[in-house]
Amino acid sequence: MTLAILNLAKRYGEATVFSHVSLDVAPGEFVAIVGDSGVGKSTLLNCMAGLDTWDEGSVTLQGTDLATLTDDQRALLRRKHVGFVFQAFHVLPHLDVAQNVALPLLLLGKPDEGRVQAMLDAVGLAGLGSRLPQQLSGGQLQRVAIARALVHRPSLLLADEPTGNLDPATATKVMDALMLQTREHGASLVLVTHSEAAAARADRILYLRSDGISA
Amino acid sequence: MASVPDAVALPKNAGALTALLRSFSWRELLHHPWRNLAAAAAVMLGVALAFSVHLINASALSEFSQAVRSVNGQPDLELRAVQGSFDEGIFEKVAAHPQVEVASPVLELASYASAGADRRIAVRVLGLDALVVARLAPALMPVPSADADRFALFTPGAVFLNPAARQSLPADTFQLQSGLQLVRVNVAGSVSTGGAAMAVMDIAAAQELFEKQGQLSRIDLQLKPGTDRASFLASLQLPPNIKGAEPGDAAQRVSNLSRAYRVNLTVLALVALFTGAFLVFSVLSLSVAKRAQQFALLGVLGLTGRQRLSLVLAESGLLGLVGSAAGVAVGTGLAALALRLLGGDLGGGYFSGVAPPLQWNGQAAIAYALLGTAAALVGGWWPARAAQKLPPAQTLKGLGAAPGKGRGHWLSLLLIALGTGMALLPPVLGIPLGAYAAVALLLIGGITALPWLIALLYDRLSPWVANRLLPMLAVERARRVRESAAVAVSGVVASLSLAVALTVMVASFRDSVTHWLDTVLPADLYVRTAPPSSTSGAGDTVYFTPDFTTAIAAVKGVNRVSTLRTTALSLDAAQPNVALIAREIGDAAQALPLVGDPVKVTEGHIPVYVSEAMVDLYGARPGMVFKPLLASFPSASNTSAVFVVAGVWRDYARQFGAIAMERRDFERLTGDTRVNDLAIWLEPNAVAADVEQAVRSLADRQSNAGGLIEFASTQQIRAISLKIFDRSFAVTYWLQGVAIAIGLFGVAASFSAQVLARRKEFGLLAHLGLTQRQILAVVAGEGAAWTLIGSVAGLALGLAVAVVLVHVVNPQSFHWTMDLVLPWARLLGLCAAVVLAGTVTAWLAGRAAAGKDAVLAVKEDW
Repeated sequence: MTLAILNLAKRYGEATVFSHVSLDVAPGEFVAIVGDSGVGKSTLLNCMAGLDTWDEGSVTLQGTDLATLTDDQRALLRRKHVGFVFQAFHVLPHLDVAQNVALPLLLLGKPDEGRVQAMLDAVGLAGLGSRLPQQLSGGQLQRVAIARALVHRPSLLLADEPTGNLDPATATKVMDALMLQTREHGASLVLVTHSEAAAARADRILYLRSDGISA
Repeated sequence: MASVPDAVALPKNAGALTALLRSFSWRELLHHPWRNLAAAAAVMLGVALAFSVHLINASALSEFSQAVRSVNGQPDLELRAVQGSFDEGIFEKVAAHPQVEVASPVLELASYASAGADRRIAVRVLGLDALVVARLAPALMPVPSADADRFALFTPGAVFLNPAARQSLPADTFQLQSGLQLVRVNVAGSVSTGGAAMAVMDIAAAQELFEKQGQLSRIDLQLKPGTDRASFLASLQLPPNIKGAEPGDAAQRVSNLSRAYRVNLTVLALVALFTGAFLVFSVLSLSVAKRAQQFALLGVLGLTGRQRLSLVLAESGLLGLVGSAAGVAVGTGLAALALRLLGGDLGGGYFSGVAPPLQWNGQAAIAYALLGTAAALVGGWWPARAAQKLPPAQTLKGLGAAPGKGRGHWLSLLLIALGTGMALLPPVLGIPLGAYAAVALLLIGGITALPWLIALLYDRLSPWVANRLLPMLAVERARRVRESAAVAVSGVVASLSLAVALTVMVASFRDSVTHWLDTVLPADLYVRTAPPSSTSGAGDTVYFTPDFTTAIAAVKGVNRVSTLRTTALSLDAAQPNVALIAREIGDAAQALPLVGDPVKVTEGHIPVYVSEAMVDLYGARPGMVFKPLLASFPSASNTSAVFVVAGVWRDYARQFGAIAMERRDFERLTGDTRVNDLAIWLEPNAVAADVEQAVRSLADRQSNAGGLIEFASTQQIRAISLKIFDRSFAVTYWLQGVAIAIGLFGVAASFSAQVLARRKEFGLLAHLGLTQRQILAVVAGEGAAWTLIGSVAGLALGLAVAVVLVHVVNPQSFHWTMDLVLPWARLLGLCAAVVLAGTVTAWLAGRAAAGKDAVLAVKEDW
């Protein structure tokens, strides 16, 4: 399994965000998680990446129980095995497009300009590597984020409402790019979304509630 | 979504600004009261220092001028001796002149009063004719005390004291020093003149007491109405050693005496205001950065860029106004306290003995308050422009403005070039205005050139770090957000450049003074009977006789004795007196701290060596014949003596000029064999204490004056001189400390603002797998890189400013030069400390923003 979550619970004081959440994600599988606002979808995504803590249960990424790792060790694991795509793009405004895409490779100490260019070509941004984020549209920015998320060939891609800020036509194109690239790289994809259209393209759709998760 | 306080409404017209100030700005102020208070306090400090210096100086100058006016009275004209005194024979001729209404003869002397056990007080003694003085100088009219003799006004040994003298001297009797003698006088009444201690007595009694029979210092004249002063003076056919002067010249002289010192002190105080402006700049930059999304939202709601600019400017203006009002109040209190505790003298020694009341001036208060407000507005201008220029939509998305290409650096370079040119301008009315403008232009030009310099450096550095993540992140951010980098380091540049400039100036001055002391203090032991009296005139009343000097040479343990005679010259009525020093010179290159080589003087001509001030003030250049000196020697004017400037020397003791000449020439021309100071070289095995005792015994035997002799070894004079020097410049160390602290506060504020604005960036980096330590390393690395650039720029600018201070401001203000000394160890230590402090500050700021909750920042709406 790429990712295994068992009986996970998250609370803020007395308030339970979610509990009894268990799920497995197989290599290359595309899982969509849907649910009401505030039910903890993004928090669950952060738990999967070891970015947030939980109160009960376990998260195993690539066979490693995240609870046994320090913050730094989680960061190293995430660096190697996880890619992120966010609703709000999150590209660094003072780096150009190519530099933004190259970040994960530099983090791993494996700079590879050819790979960066290949990813830009793959997401339809050929020739835009030297542009700054301020010079791109929302759809283009999200493609930069997809390229960055996959450039280092992670085994798990976590996408949090990647089309939430986009118009339907652009959203469809971005989802096409996201799925195509994920499939090509053989990565697993966990997508948190409100979009029924996006969720419908997943292998599995899971509904997150405060008392658990179900198909 | 960025939140805007509920109370914010957007009225459509002129009321918008006021409404926003009351709600939007007021809430920000309440949210960060200490930060805003610090900015207002910095303005307050600057205004308080500058205003108090102004009040103290204005009060002292006014009191001093008033005292001079009351002593000099209100004559139409004064006839004064160029040097010492003149023959009273001229008085009859002047008094009998048909155009003279009243002529009042005056003998003015400086001496010391013995006020009991080993306590001597400097006293000005005025001998005058009580029958005429009241018509010209009513304040000098002696008022006998109730129990005094009815002829006390004319009684020998009867003196009338002014309030300052009455305060420090016994009420009935005391002794006045004449030569090495102490002569008892009786207090017979009072005079009402202000200023330092003064004793008035009958002119004939004064002439007798000080062995000045037949001598006058000046004649005060009231002329008949309609008299033309120039033609009147010409008709008198005065000898060259007597000059006519208008009373206005005396007031001018008082002002000239202290002007450069007062201006420099004020400029130093304004440095504090400059740093205050920087604090306003830092606080508002931070505030605008933190409120960027609120400003953007207001922009979306319809607040124009100009209105955003006005709002931030109004905030800075209010900070300045509050700080300035408090500054005027604190400055008034400081001035009142200083006048009470220190009198009117701020360390320059120009107003010592004056205890003036505070003279508050509403116009000056308003001017300084406006200056403080203007400084705050200047500090607020750049943050206000940032608020004006921020693109609302981009800012709400968290992308900020697209990186600019950087403004043209030509304006900055032009300012620097202009500054360099201004430094070459001559002084205006004795004030180095061009040099001050040069310093300001260099600082502004240097600081505004920072974005360009940063880009220049980092554009070249960028390819080298392209494949190393942490340096790449730091470098790319610095070069693409160069304006922010410049803002962050500008505080460091400004404060460090001031600190470097002051450090170099003080080190250069101290080093030059140390070398100067080595040259002017060649002997083992120095003897005198009164404190230095180069220009006060006490040299004519308090002195050693030739017999005493000869006897000292025969004292056991004394190898050689050198003598020094000092008198005051009045070469220009509008300028303070010049010191004429008669001593054994011999090889001038050895005996005097010459600037340049001595000039050979033709046989028969009299060589004189002038201090640098003489070159500036009287144009006495090497090799030229110095005619004004001829008037100082009545006999010389009859013998066609020619005084030639044989060299220029450095004199840190007399700001308004000194002339050194061979003692034998002086004695030949004047017949004056008195001595004011003795330099003694001891025998190899002699004990200084034994020689001192022997000299004291000698004085006791000759005139029971052993107690009037003062001794000092070279080491003592050196140590005291350097101690006084260090004390005088202690204030500059405080200023450096304040400037550096404010600069670092600016760095802290800028970094806090930037790391807060970059929380999402740090969150993203955490998502990508950067550890918290690595994120902190990026922030600290940026801090180190930026403060390093700031230090290099600050050091370079500081050195440029130091060159202006050392080579222009000092010579133009005080008429002395010094050698530029660069204390590299101290300067590099200063830079290293700033880089270290800046790095730690950045790291601390980063810790607050790059914590675990930074991860959550990516969830926030952009």
